[in-house]
Amino acid sequence: MAPTRDTPFRSADMSMVQLYISNEIGREVVNALGELGLVQFRDLNGDISAFQRAFTQDIRRLDNVERQLRFFHAQMEKAGIPLRKLDLDVGTLDAPTTTLIDELADRSQSLEQRVASLNESYETLKKREVELTEWRWVLREAGGFFDRAHGNVEEIRASTDNDDAPLLQDVEHNNSAPEVERSFSGMNIGFVAGVIARDRVAAFERILWRTLRGNLYMNQAEIPEPLVDPSTNEPVQKNVFVIFAHGKEILAKIRKISESMSAEVYNVDENSDLRRDQVHEVNARLNDVQNVLRNTQQTLEAELTQISRSLAAWMVLVGKEKAVYNTLNLFSFDRARRTLIAEGWCPSNDLPLIRSTLQDVNNRAGLSVPSIINVIQTNKKPPTYLKTNKFTEGFQTIVNAYGTASYQEVNPAIPVIVTFPFLFAVMFGDLGHAIIMLSAAIAMIYWEKPLKKVTFELFAMVYYGRYIALVMALFSVYTGLIYNDIFSKSMTLFDSQWQWVVPDKWHPGQSVSGNLTSSNYRYPFGVDWRWHGTENDLLFSNSYKMKMSIILGWAHMTYSLCFSYINARHFKRPIDIWGNFIPGMIFFQAIFGYLVMCIIYKWTVDWVGLGIAPPGLLNMLIYMFLQPGKLDMRLYAGQETVQVILLLLAFAQVPILLFLKPFYLRWEHNRARAKGYRGIGERSRVSALDGDDEDGDGQNGRHSIGSDDEGVAMITQNIDEDEEHEEFDFSEVMIHQVIHTIEFCLNCVSHTASYLRLWALSLAHQQLSAVLWSMTMAPALSSKGIGGGLYLVAAFYMFFCLSCIILIIMEGVSAMLHSLRLAWVESFSKFAEFGGWPFAPFSFSSMIEESEELKDYLG
Amino acid sequence: MANGWSIIIGLVVIVAMSTAAWFFSPKGENQVLWRSSLILTFVSCYLMWAITFLAQLHPLIEPRRSDLRKEFIHH
Repeated sequence: MAPTRDTPFRSADMSMVQLYISNEIGREVVNALGELGLVQFRDLNGDISAFQRAFTQDIRRLDNVERQLRFFHAQMEKAGIPLRKLDLDVGTLDAPTTTLIDELADRSQSLEQRVASLNESYETLKKREVELTEWRWVLREAGGFFDRAHGNVEEIRASTDNDDAPLLQDVEHNNSAPEVERSFSGMNIGFVAGVIARDRVAAFERILWRTLRGNLYMNQAEIPEPLVDPSTNEPVQKNVFVIFAHGKEILAKIRKISESMSAEVYNVDENSDLRRDQVHEVNARLNDVQNVLRNTQQTLEAELTQISRSLAAWMVLVGKEKAVYNTLNLFSFDRARRTLIAEGWCPSNDLPLIRSTLQDVNNRAGLSVPSIINVIQTNKKPPTYLKTNKFTEGFQTIVNAYGTASYQEVNPAIPVIVTFPFLFAVMFGDLGHAIIMLSAAIAMIYWEKPLKKVTFELFAMVYYGRYIALVMALFSVYTGLIYNDIFSKSMTLFDSQWQWVVPDKWHPGQSVSGNLTSSNYRYPFGVDWRWHGTENDLLFSNSYKMKMSIILGWAHMTYSLCFSYINARHFKRPIDIWGNFIPGMIFFQAIFGYLVMCIIYKWTVDWVGLGIAPPGLLNMLIYMFLQPGKLDMRLYAGQETVQVILLLLAFAQVPILLFLKPFYLRWEHNRARAKGYRGIGERSRVSALDGDDEDGDGQNGRHSIGSDDEGVAMITQNIDEDEEHEEFDFSEVMIHQVIHTIEFCLNCVSHTASYLRLWALSLAHQQLSAVLWSMTMAPALSSKGIGGGLYLVAAFYMFFCLSCIILIIMEGVSAMLHSLRLAWVESFSKFAEFGGWPFAPFSFSSMIEESEELKDYLG
Repeated sequence: MANGWSIIIGLVVIVAMSTAAWFFSPKGENQVLWRSSLILTFVSCYLMWAITFLAQLHPLIEPRRSDLRKEFIHH
């Protein structure tokens, strides 16, 4: 393999490598490679389910540790303890040793138990506390009932013992207070006291009433403060109730009903002295419980605070360790030799680095058996690995959003770095808006580090594209100067090429028109400011911008088409040059290249000076097709002949495009077969040579050159046998080419038309900013006095905010999307295949970056 | 001063700039990036300037307005 330097121009050279690693240092090697992030491992155990793999046990253990760590995090959140986040930019974590991981596992195991038991006792205590609080409320409220009830004893009795009411009434009347208390039990009236949730009170009352047929007297009072339910941790409003009833059975029934309604029944003494003692006791117990509760809480918090310091680091460690074992599970394990065998893709130029890394790990472990890394030949399609840096990353992402370039084809992101922002700027051209955008982009780049931490998603997206924004803004400054637009106003940077011709009896309101100041002076840079605000401004700018769109589109597409030549040459497919690139190019240039030439030629002729009416180019193009050989209006001498020749040339390319490539391929194929070559997978090859090697070579499609017998044995374990041995099928090639031809020819027309969006959007942008100015600033500037000043301030705020929101953000996004489409469709369709698959190496840094779970732990 | 020849002069200038960009791009794996981006930038900017200049070289219509104030009519 030629050691060419990897450039962003095309994918780096990739090699399939095989690693032989001693079992003892497997973990360390994978760790080191993970830090390096240059190898993408292939799964060699595809036929083995996830549970049967060698390191599943370790992964399970780590899963458990991870669960425990997450449990701590949840506990910390509950207790409101802040997590100390890990900043990977500041300090990196060293590769953990096995003992460290074991220690961590043990430690989190014991910590989990501790936290769990603390939690449990906390919950029991909390429950006890709630009960005691309820009891206290019952005692307090029930006391009130009793005091009131004793005043009404006679009435109760009157209602219960109706028969002998008159007799007893007298007796009761003379009774003193202490005797009244005794009389309660004497009357055989019992009571049930308790607490019930307020929303159940109504149902409770109804049930009691129905089951006891009204034989009860119920009293209740609301507890003013909500009580916390320890099981759900939610505050519940509750009521205290005391039910008086007659007879033991009824009381038992009431108790049962209360239980079924999940009311808490508490023991309350009838005697007020006893009740006072009870209250005291309850208060004392409540105090005790609260003390213990506070202590438990403090211990728990102290424990969690200690964990919070290192939780993030642990989480990352465990995540890495899990990734290592998951990778190890992809390796095939030779039990007899205690060797791990791995296969994977890596950039060829980084092989020495990988080799030295392996050597380092070996030396550190002091192992005599070396780790071996072998490059193996394969006809599998390598992954596309396009190196990026801080600047190109955003552009590459734009391209990758469309597709992954085929291995080693021209990286479509290379032209995009300039063409995408430039076409954006053609649509966005306004110096004022561009300067605001430029300052935003420069600010984002200047405060790159602090802004990186912002997690707000929308901003993170803009931040990610900060270099794209920078280039877009720079080009917009340029196009703004060309369009001579700054917030829809013009700048008089140079002398105008026009002067007003003022009639003798001119009065305000009379129309004046311009005259060229000199035949030899033209406005040197951009659009002449005299055009600004004129009545026929749009007439001029539309013609100018439309033609510019066509010319820029033609240039963009021609440039893109040239890449297909570079691709064909790189892949050594001359037929793509002769059968696709050249006829395509001639077709495109004969029609649209000619149009562009005509546009430019028409500009260079002084039609007014010659006194000839200028021909319309659109009509010219239409007549060129509709009636070849005839002219609507003459542009230059010999135009008919040239047009006929070009037209014939263009149409002559269609059959070449259609047939040259398929027939050449068929001829090539037939020639190869005539010489006796066959495809590798074809059955006709099953000969005397080798019966069992057929599997290894045929199915895997790999010649095991450079690897010994055991290598072949290992390779046969591969599962992804999706190798394509393309049988040559003429009809398929033909159909493909017909589609390509039709698509190409039609696209030449539609894509050129599609570039007219450059004109449409720049027109829209300019008109919108002019409207905004005339609706906010213009009336404010013409108003006078203090009121006018205040109006100006308000109008400016509005003007500025709307400029930013509508003209910069909204218009910017729309121009960006249009430019994106021009890159994706109009440009990429000319050369890029997008048949690749991305290189995704095993790397800790990208794993941590992409992990959703670890996001909470990283600062 | 600024007449039809400006197009040619401009072309010469950007060809010179592109050549300079080709040879003075920083060496290293990103050289191709520098060359491609710089030359494309020069060409794009030149194209746009040249188109704008050409469009005004032999104007077919002249500006016309009727809302001019007295003070500005002779500017």
